[in-house]
Amino acid sequence: MTTRRAIASFAAERQIGRLLILFTYVSVTLLVVGVLLLLAAGISPIDGGPPLDLSTLFSEVVAFGPAGFLWLGLLAVIVTPISRVVLAAIAFGRAGDWSMVWIAFAILAIIATGVATAAAGTV
Amino acid sequence: MIIGLLMLGGGAAAGVFGSLLGLGGGVLIVPLLTLGFGLPLRDAVGVSLVCVIMTSSAAAGVYLERHVANLRLGMTLELFTALGALVGGSVAFVLDERLISLLFAGMLLYVAVTMARAGSVPPSAASELDVAPVDEEPAPPNMLDRLSGDGYRVRNPGRGVFGATGAGVISALLGVGGGIVKVPLMHLAMGVPLRVATATSNMMIGITAAASAVIYLIHGGIDPYVAGPTAIGVFLGASVGSRVSHRVDLRFLRLLFVIVLGYTALQMLLRVVG
Repeated sequence: MTTRRAIASFAAERQIGRLLILFTYVSVTLLVVGVLLLLAAGISPIDGGPPLDLSTLFSEVVAFGPAGFLWLGLLAVIVTPISRVVLAAIAFGRAGDWSMVWIAFAILAIIATGVATAAAGTV
Repeated sequence: MIIGLLMLGGGAAAGVFGSLLGLGGGVLIVPLLTLGFGLPLRDAVGVSLVCVIMTSSAAAGVYLERHVANLRLGMTLELFTALGALVGGSVAFVLDERLISLLFAGMLLYVAVTMARAGSVPPSAASELDVAPVDEEPAPPNMLDRLSGDGYRVRNPGRGVFGATGAGVISALLGVGGGIVKVPLMHLAMGVPLRVATATSNMMIGITAAASAVIYLIHGGIDPYVAGPTAIGVFLGASVGSRVSHRVDLRFLRLLFVIVLGYTALQMLLRVVG
């Protein structure tokens, strides 16, 4: 590994680490609000929550509905490691480490394939 | 309200145990939700994946900031764990739930036997002491060289690819992080020091579980009302566990955990038969 790449990798790891911690706390905050609203509403978790509906998510959050905050928190949880790969791709690209950029894109492509095939299967 | 608090408490207990024993919460969350709250197995796996991502992201953030995890190696292996997770996540909705329960019971027994054999060396102590030997041959200028870190050189990429793909399938099918496969794979087969292997595995778990969690999400396999309290519980439990780990007698805890895992495996097997 060249010195330039090593320094870039070192800095990228620190930035990505901080981002992961920040995203985790944002997710936890959203989920805590959702759980408090759920408990306050006296809803039993085993009654089953509503499915994810992106078209009503924002209005649900504005109306302080528990499902809105819970879904937003859960989406944030799932997006966190994916955003880590995107950031790593940018960092490696800046350092000219194109093999790692391709690996990052391949990971994202696999996840996108999973989304596409699952969506096609549920249509 | 009581059930919500019980889920939060159960998730916290799974988080504490998982954190103290270095397993993550996934091994305990699925039995907790299926046997304790009567959830269908696939729904429990979906919730468990969310919890696993959460604990992984928090831990991986710290490991990356401190430069313990190997980002290049982790991302290269993630390519294959994500591929395995894609296959596992798709297959999970086709397989009979009893077969998945049987696989889960088998995994619990494997973990129980592994822990029983592990002896009295705590995982944290082992992480500091048990470092793989450095290859003395000069490193050739290839991809493996670039994936290696300070004081060690990665070897056996073929085994790494094969094992990582398998870990991804297991993670997606059973809702666990797959660290039980990835850590020995990197440490024993690929020559990565245990401390780095543990940290890198923790980082990889997030993307492995995310790759399958999106499939569960689209198939309606994640219930927000169950996932919310359980994930918060696991996060709190894991945070507490990491802070009190040095005060706990891990030999007693390990024995207790082996008994709990054995009993849980038996209950899962009874579900298959029943």
